[in-house]
Amino acid sequence: MTGILVGIGVAFFGFVLQTSVSGVNRKIVGRLQKRHGPRWYQEFLDIFKLLSKRSVSHGWIFDFGVIMALGGIIATAMFMPITTSIVAFEGYDNFFIYVYLLAIGMLGMAMSASGSGNPWASIGVMRALTTMLAYEVPFLIVALTIINLTDASSLTEIMLYQQAAGHQWFLIALPLGGIVGVLALMGMLGKKPFETFIAPAEIASGPMVEYGGKQLGMLMILHEITAFIEVSLFVHLFLGGASSIPEYLLKYFAVYTVVNLISNVNGRFKIDQVVVFFYKWPLLMSVAQAIIAIYFGWVI
Amino acid sequence: MTNSTNNIEAVDTIIENSQVTPLLRDEIDQYQVAYEIQKGDIHTTLSLLKNAGWIQLSYLSAIDWPEENKMELIYILFNWEQPVYVQIRSKIDRRKPEVPSIIQIFPGAKYYEREAHEFFGIDFPGNPDFDKQLILENWDDIPPLRKDFDPSSYSKKKFPSRTYPDQFSKKDPDNKTREKQTEREKRANKLRTGGGKR
Amino acid sequence: MLSTKYTKKDVVKTKTDRKWWEIGDYFRRNSLWMLMYCTGCCAIELPPAMTAAYDMERLGMGPMATPRQADILLVSGYLSPKTLRRLVYTYEQMSEPRYVVALGSCPINGGIYHDSHVVINQLDQYVPVDVYVGGCMPNPESLLNGFVDLMEGIKNKTADGWKRYHEHYEWYKENQKHSLGELIIHDEFHE
Repeated sequence: MTGILVGIGVAFFGFVLQTSVSGVNRKIVGRLQKRHGPRWYQEFLDIFKLLSKRSVSHGWIFDFGVIMALGGIIATAMFMPITTSIVAFEGYDNFFIYVYLLAIGMLGMAMSASGSGNPWASIGVMRALTTMLAYEVPFLIVALTIINLTDASSLTEIMLYQQAAGHQWFLIALPLGGIVGVLALMGMLGKKPFETFIAPAEIASGPMVEYGGKQLGMLMILHEITAFIEVSLFVHLFLGGASSIPEYLLKYFAVYTVVNLISNVNGRFKIDQVVVFFYKWPLLMSVAQAIIAIYFGWVI
Repeated sequence: MTNSTNNIEAVDTIIENSQVTPLLRDEIDQYQVAYEIQKGDIHTTLSLLKNAGWIQLSYLSAIDWPEENKMELIYILFNWEQPVYVQIRSKIDRRKPEVPSIIQIFPGAKYYEREAHEFFGIDFPGNPDFDKQLILENWDDIPPLRKDFDPSSYSKKKFPSRTYPDQFSKKDPDNKTREKQTEREKRANKLRTGGGKR
Repeated sequence: MLSTKYTKKDVVKTKTDRKWWEIGDYFRRNSLWMLMYCTGCCAIELPPAMTAAYDMERLGMGPMATPRQADILLVSGYLSPKTLRRLVYTYEQMSEPRYVVALGSCPINGGIYHDSHVVINQLDQYVPVDVYVGGCMPNPESLLNGFVDLMEGIKNKTADGWKRYHEHYEWYKENQKHSLGELIIHDEFHE
């Protein structure tokens, strides 16, 4: 019972954290462009404004898809460890749980977007699934290298391995793998240059074209919690996790800000360029890293 | 670089060597020349000029002369090798305007003829969909670019304008205009500087 | 293709609803999303208002791609009957509460095109308008002033164009039919 309460606390904490960090990032980008940005709690205002509008429904599968996606993502977030000591369900924070459960969010959104009947939504969903196909392969190769090196696939074990004396963070120990991890994170979050599946002016927001009001508010909550899960995964796998909450907050903020700053100076790829990009250098780098780390054993 | 007067002479020689007799010739400036021909000679002239190098149809339109009871059709052709704009004009009857379509010579004239039909009422037999609407939707009056169409009376009939009362500036009984003005200036200043003082 | 899923609804009636709507008003006026329907020349004043000099994002506003996600429909400039038919479709697809901001003097009384046969003269008769920003064309500062006026109107509950559209639905439809003919779009892409 306490596990469920801690889990709900973790999900809520993740939502609040990601929303604040994304609001602060909008302000940072605004200052970079020599203007005052929005307030730091602007994202909260956006979400609550959307939840207070009357919305238009297109049938029950449209509503049900969003609810299913949101429920699935909250369930996934409940498993995420924050530090080495705050874990909701001991022994259940396996890496592969996240790989499986992240697909439910995507599946729910795809279901409800195709239930709306708009052709832009189908194009956007097709592009989202193609992008997912592109970044998953190099990312999983690097993750499997890490799991092989630490002989465990639980995130807490990986964190403790990196924090033990004589071992470095995997971002430094496996440098090529670290670069692939950053690129895969940008693909997962949907940041430019891999923003093809949203593409605001090109296909009118892709899957989100027919949403308005309450469903869009729920989709934004879904997006925030998904981002929290993905950035936390990166922090635990590559940056050594954290043993206390301030350290975790610092690492989270640094990762998200760096990724956001990189994405703000790039344009947007087309969908075939995304696939070709991920299957060229990142795939080669991850395979080379796997061979170096496992067969030769040259870990820094 | 060929001299442009040579180009206009080239056009003149082409027209003289054919069976077409132009009614009027006007050299507008260094790069433009206009010919007026009979309605039956339009196709021959255009084919001749196209074979000689004037491959681009720049424009197709009409002018309305209600006093002479005629409409004047204009075709403007352009050559990329010897740059000269050639205008081919011909007058047709206004009560029943009809010109055979030229889409066999210039296929891009399809949309120009639709536009000329919509705005002047000229028929183009030979063009399969010359009376499909292109720009105006649900139009219920005479073709609008004719000279006997009055736009402002149409606008008054269909789109009623705003009526202002005679005394539409409200006089201020409390005389608070000055205060309201300073307050609006302060707010505009705040928006301009983002909250700080100028 | 008629506008999808439009039903006439009863507006807020009871008192407890009112309290929630006041809290909702705070959220609604601090994060407005616009759909920039750039019909005429006044649309050229929007990029300066969005970029670094007269920043619009610090008021919480931002551009949005589709009508279903937007709050404000920004009508900038003159409207021909062809555009107005599509604008009414767009307006009826937005989710409530929704606001219309009209830029320039063309939606007020026709502007410099008032005696043209393809420009409508008063936008107010076809779609309810909340804020007019006058000028030909207005400065980006006047534009921001208009948006702040809209925010104060939301706070004082005077920006209720969407409620007026529900209450006087027949009058608006009557006007649209008189000027536009019919509201069904017949062109090559819809048939």
